[in-house]
Amino acid sequence: MSAPFFPQFSQTTYLAVSLLLGFFFGFFLERAGFSSAKKLTAQFYFKDFSVLKVMFTAIVVAMLGIAYLAAAGRLDMSQVYVPLTFLWPQIAGGLLLGAGFIIGGY
Amino acid sequence: MDSWSIPINPVPLTFEQAEAMAQRQIKKHHVAIMLLHWFNAIVWLLELATGAALISSPHFRIAPVWYIAIVQGFFGSRAHMLWFHIALGITWIVVFTVYGTFGFRTYLAREVLEREIALDWDDLVWLRVRLLRILGRSNEPLPPQGIYNAGQKLFALLVYAMIPIIMLTGLVMAFHLVSTSLVAWAVVLHFVAVGLVASGLMIHVYMGAVFPEEKPAFFSMITGTVNELYAYRHHFKWWKDVKMQEREWKQEMEGGGGNATPEDRSPAAVEGPELADDVALPRRGLGGVLHQAFRMPEYWPPYVAGVGLGLTLLAAFILMGEGLGASGGFTRYLVAFISWVAPTYVARNPYWNEYAQPGQSPLISFLVFELIGVAVGGFVSGWLAHRLRITVDKGPRVSARGRYALALLGGVLTGYGARLARGCTSGLALSGGAVLAAGAWAFMMAVFAAGFIGAYFVRRYWI
Repeated sequence: MSAPFFPQFSQTTYLAVSLLLGFFFGFFLERAGFSSAKKLTAQFYFKDFSVLKVMFTAIVVAMLGIAYLAAAGRLDMSQVYVPLTFLWPQIAGGLLLGAGFIIGGY
Repeated sequence: MDSWSIPINPVPLTFEQAEAMAQRQIKKHHVAIMLLHWFNAIVWLLELATGAALISSPHFRIAPVWYIAIVQGFFGSRAHMLWFHIALGITWIVVFTVYGTFGFRTYLAREVLEREIALDWDDLVWLRVRLLRILGRSNEPLPPQGIYNAGQKLFALLVYAMIPIIMLTGLVMAFHLVSTSLVAWAVVLHFVAVGLVASGLMIHVYMGAVFPEEKPAFFSMITGTVNELYAYRHHFKWWKDVKMQEREWKQEMEGGGGNATPEDRSPAAVEGPELADDVALPRRGLGGVLHQAFRMPEYWPPYVAGVGLGLTLLAAFILMGEGLGASGGFTRYLVAFISWVAPTYVARNPYWNEYAQPGQSPLISFLVFELIGVAVGGFVSGWLAHRLRITVDKGPRVSARGRYALALLGGVLTGYGARLARGCTSGLALSGGAVLAAGAWAFMMAVFAAGFIGAYFVRRYWI
């Protein structure tokens, strides 16, 4: 049985796993200080690069794990959702989100 | 140094003191530990040598083909080599089990683990300063260390965590326990656990066998003792404990009399600032570390929080086949609400009816429940760290009202941008970034570009 495991989950397990993953997601975000708008925006004033450090550490850790498990045949990449690329909408969306981020703080 | 005056913090030594201390030996390791250490070293050497030769899959082969041929030739055949690897591994497990069972109180009791592998506050500072000093970015003095320094403790923690995994996965592989899919998972876990220990092992061996300052630590694994000067300079807290014990013992021998007045026997009588100051210092031991990590109001170092977040993200991919997200979940809440108010409108809108399949509530979904978990997890984290308060988080030069207005405007832009890009900072940048989706990286760069440019125009609201 190779990952991802969700096809084997019952609906209850599926939702419980979702809650649990969310719990850790929220926990680590708060631990990193991402609940503070001032801390988040400080990076855009070159004062505190926690956001970049946390985000890129997380991406690298997850990426290494995924690459390793996929190469070992334990993670079926055809079952993994990879966001589709729509270049211009995503650049425009990113610009809007970035502007909203620095104005709104989150 | 006069054994009657024990400083609380390291003080500079005179030449005579240093000379005398260099001559005196302190016992560091019991002979049973030294035997175990060298047994373990031999097992690791042989298991790594044969293990590397056993990996034949071209995807994962780490040793060159000629190496595999030599080792295989030495054993006669691959089957013999595998047999040797397994037999030695089982011997290793048996020896460790015997040590752990009969020496539980000596090696695995809580106090021992707290002293030998739990990192305290000094250790965390030590790791930071040590790293900065290696990079030539700091001249701060290193905080005093216990019987093992923070680097040794960190390696020990890694080893303590990985050894049970290596043993269990090894047994599963060797005897094909439970099911083929479990064996397949054991293979990848075995490889990762060994890889992690091996990477630490390189530093461990370098420090022990090559690094000149740590020579006494290497010889202490043969003789069992280190000289007092080394103990004083590298493991001050341990040196102090040894000296205090020695003094107590001496005083008992002298029947409590001698030159020492009764007050001298209490630890508070040592030279320098009162030991009562210890109370104000961060708590020591395992409890102290957990307390520091979970209950103190400081945020975690970004790389530590980042590893936690990365493992959560990896778990999401393994379990759910997709990464973590946020905006998609909010969209579903909205769709649920609108289909409750105006179901026909949702049915006719292609963007929304994607989420509202007939017979299935848009709320029965990963991101919807994940968001509830996020709120709970964030709340628990903040509550543990005493960070819960009702406040308006804003720059010093903006009113609360102004902050609300800006938050609303920012929220509108963020929300629209996230749905236009089919994802937000979590769902697209973080999760898509980890699976190398091109659009995710373009999005991420656009976010940071707009953030850095926009920051200039709204600077008076934040700084």
